[in-house]
Amino acid sequence: MIQKRHNINVLGDGPKTMVFAHGYGCDQNMWLPVAKNFQEKYRTVLFDYVGFGQSDLSAYDSERYNSLDAYADDVVAIGKALDLSGAIFVGHSVSAMIGALADSKEPGMFSELIMVGPSPYYLTDDGYNGGFTRAQIDEMLEFLDHNHLGWSQAYAPAIMGNPDRPELGETLTNSFCATDPQVARDFAKVTFLSDCRDALPNVKARTLILQCDQDIIAPENVGQYVHENIAGSTFSWLNAVGHCPNLSAPEEVTAAIRDFL
Amino acid sequence: MTERASFLDLYEDAPCGFMSVCVDGKIVRINHTLTEWLGQSTGSLIGSTFHDLLSVGGRIAYETHIRPLLRMQGHADELSLDLLNSEGERVPFLANATERRGEDGQHISTRFALFKARDRRMYEKSLLAAREVAETESRRARETALLREQFIAVLGHDLRNPLTAIISGTNLIKRRVDLPEREASILDNISKSAWRAEHLIRDVLDFARGKLGEGLVLQRAKNAKLADGLTQVVDEVRTAHPEQEIVTNFTIEGPVNCDGDRIGQLLSNLLSNAVNHGDSARKIIVSANTTAEEFVLHVENFGDPIPEALQQNLFQPFFRGNASDQKKGLGLGLFIVSEIAKAHGGSIAVISDSRVTRFTLCMPR
Repeated sequence: MIQKRHNINVLGDGPKTMVFAHGYGCDQNMWLPVAKNFQEKYRTVLFDYVGFGQSDLSAYDSERYNSLDAYADDVVAIGKALDLSGAIFVGHSVSAMIGALADSKEPGMFSELIMVGPSPYYLTDDGYNGGFTRAQIDEMLEFLDHNHLGWSQAYAPAIMGNPDRPELGETLTNSFCATDPQVARDFAKVTFLSDCRDALPNVKARTLILQCDQDIIAPENVGQYVHENIAGSTFSWLNAVGHCPNLSAPEEVTAAIRDFL
Repeated sequence: MTERASFLDLYEDAPCGFMSVCVDGKIVRINHTLTEWLGQSTGSLIGSTFHDLLSVGGRIAYETHIRPLLRMQGHADELSLDLLNSEGERVPFLANATERRGEDGQHISTRFALFKARDRRMYEKSLLAAREVAETESRRARETALLREQFIAVLGHDLRNPLTAIISGTNLIKRRVDLPEREASILDNISKSAWRAEHLIRDVLDFARGKLGEGLVLQRAKNAKLADGLTQVVDEVRTAHPEQEIVTNFTIEGPVNCDGDRIGQLLSNLLSNAVNHGDSARKIIVSANTTAEEFVLHVENFGDPIPEALQQNLFQPFFRGNASDQKKGLGLGLFIVSEIAKAHGGSIAVISDSRVTRFTLCMPR
């Protein structure tokens, strides 16, 4: 049930489990280049949030998923289904904050929290510089309106009906980032308009913050803010540019995570 | 022109824009067509970053969607992308992008082919706007319709109570034997009007309920006393229209699986129709019989035939034919008759000529 709902894939084996959570935009495929490096020594878990990738789209509910809390609840539910305790949560982009929220909901489920390109708040206000204005976020939503990126109502059942056929991804152009336009809009709003700054001091897990160069989504000052507000956290620069080092520099990310663990 | 010069010419002045961006985001090559479209000179763009050509919203979208897509599948097609021109204005493009990769799969550069898409974008925007308007309107229409039906249901329900008082009051007074002729005839008229009003209200309520999505809910049971129920309906009509002769001929053997009240309502509507439109000097014949499989009910009256052109539309809601204004109802009676027939898995048919007008219900028993 929950396996299908989140298209959960468990690979590799080891005493510790690593859960990789995709960020805003695409699906669990973003973590494949990094996750494969850990499958010898760890049990690795990949999943899609409801509404993304090959999750069960029928489980999506606009009202339920109107806050990051709902996504954190889902992470906790996945962790419980897999009987996780003292596991490692690796969250890219918005998932870094979802991980922080999940940690305060279920302390001890994750003993390590690895944040790749985290940002607790994307807007700029009262002395905090998140990098964006509301108008710029709206501009981004406008892009989504004009780019369904391969999303097609007609494909949806085919994708959902064949969760164990990865080759399907090759035949569906752009399908990695294909998301129901409504879901994409909802998640964009939740991602870019949520304020998670208050959640940071509550994080109990040992935390690593991985910062990229020229990351316009999560610039350095924001990464530093996260570091300063999570007691005992480690801040580390990646030799990578952009917001998706898990794709552009998977070896760098792997090495940084190994060092930390 | 040498072959190389010819290729260069094609690259520079192709009817689409070309651009190559290296891994760190810097523009390493851009053709003349694209720089022209952007109102820039080639020199000013080489070495600047691709991000500089994007609006901030476009950068977020590029970083969160297109870049990962390029990395994962090597290409991204049919992107709707806005680039900024020298004035800082957004120029809409349709773009394809591919990742140029080395032998071991490492990213060397990203190539873009771009077509100006101002008209196309305007068209898409107006389609999106039209869709939004249509969605808003249909939502509003649904809400209004729901409110209206609810209003009708409440109104109908509340109108019934005073009518019930009028009907039982007139029935009580009618029992007096010493009633003067003029008062008796006034009472008759009150009864008829009240009876008619009650039927109109019941039809409206049924129609509103149907529209509210409940449909006609049947309480079907093996009905052994269907003839009694039908007789009662006929008696009610006789009370309201004492001058009208109604003959019954019921031969119903064994129980009929139906909703007795609904079949009664069907008969009542057919009778009301016959009383209003038939020749009142001639009788109305109601007959019901059963076969092994079917229950059949006929209501016959005599008078002017229903014109053939009108016969097809008789069972449509709000159809009122060419009856005189006085006799006009809401046009729901026969619609509800046909709905009741359908709900029982049966059908309703009409024949009307100079000899007879006959409505026939035929349903599995």
